[in-house]
Amino acid sequence: MIAGLVLLAGGAAAGIFGSLLGLGGGILIVPLLTFVFGLPLREAVAVSLVSVIVTSSASAGVYLQRHTANLRLGMVLELFTASGALVGGLVAFLLSDRVLAALFAALLTWVAVSMFRAGRKAQPSAASAAEAAAVDAGTPAPGSFTATLGGDGYSVRRLPMGMAGSVFAGLVSALLGVGGGIVKVPVMHMVMGVPLKVATATSNMMIGITATSSAVIYLLRGQIDPYVAGPTALGVFAGAMVGSRIAARIDVRLLRLIFVIVMVYNAVQMALKALAL
Amino acid sequence: MSAAVSPDARSGAAAARGIETTVARLLTLGTRLAMVLVLIGVGIMLAHGVDPLLTAIPPFSIASIPADLLALRAEGFLWSGLLVVMAMPVARVIVSGFGFFAAGDRRLALVSLLVVLVLTASVVAAQGLGG
Repeated sequence: MIAGLVLLAGGAAAGIFGSLLGLGGGILIVPLLTFVFGLPLREAVAVSLVSVIVTSSASAGVYLQRHTANLRLGMVLELFTASGALVGGLVAFLLSDRVLAALFAALLTWVAVSMFRAGRKAQPSAASAAEAAAVDAGTPAPGSFTATLGGDGYSVRRLPMGMAGSVFAGLVSALLGVGGGIVKVPVMHMVMGVPLKVATATSNMMIGITATSSAVIYLLRGQIDPYVAGPTALGVFAGAMVGSRIAARIDVRLLRLIFVIVMVYNAVQMALKALAL
Repeated sequence: MSAAVSPDARSGAAAARGIETTVARLLTLGTRLAMVLVLIGVGIMLAHGVDPLLTAIPPFSIASIPADLLALRAEGFLWSGLLVVMAMPVARVIVSGFGFFAAGDRRLALVSLLVVLVLTASVVAAQGLGG
């Protein structure tokens, strides 16, 4: 009974942290299940994917109601994230736990560095640089398919690069049990010229399909443990709801610093696991 | 950026708004249903003192879920909740596809169909690999 409650609490903590830092939670759930609960990495990835779908559906409902997410663009890009996730879900069973741990260590390091740099950088200048770059790239040809994918106040550019980035995001998601927002949001915002708020909302919506493509493979191959996935997903859902309500009252800078430290620690642990030390 | 918006983008975004509202309701209700099922499953699991870390993964079988639900077994509620979780994004794509088709947007309807086909391929691939 205690283990079930601790899983619930762990999921809730990941949900709160994820929500406050704009992450799906997978990046926290996999190390939690692996290092704290001793689950094999592949099982942790499978459980994480289920939790990621829950947070995606819950947040996509809100974003679509507010018309913040771009449904049309999301539909097009998720065809490519789903394809990447299909391949990743199959490849994951060919890789050893050590290789997966090495990949996860690399991802954790990347996320920690990105988060650290984001905390030091002034947000407005980064956003305006991206917007300026997007304007420089020119608008899509009138009447073209790409031209129909824009939204209120912006046009979509460089669709082929967005498609390629989406395939990569799908691969990362399926192999490591994360949402892939760490790839999708920068691709949409910096490369395709989509405003950051819309890119974040659209990425959140797309994560559901990306994760489902590979979660189905894990499910049919007997890798999803409902006794672990149930409490974890429930905790993540509750935690994400709490996080969205307290976000305005929390000092995100301190939270980000704690997150970076936790990520670096997890990256080292994953690297040691990869090296079998 | 606002100066670069094309009329195509404006008409496309306007057509998607009605579909977005429908899909938003579907996702909100579906997620709540899934979480209620999982909550009941977790409640039964805790009441029966099941240790999730020491119990073997119960085999997944859609056919056994109704009997598990009727017998108030934890795995019945957990599996159905998790299935609803995984069904929600698929349902969103299907509903959106029909919405785009009804709005005369054949290209987006085709994209929706292709997404569903990729998901179907996931199921077939997993089964083909001995899942």
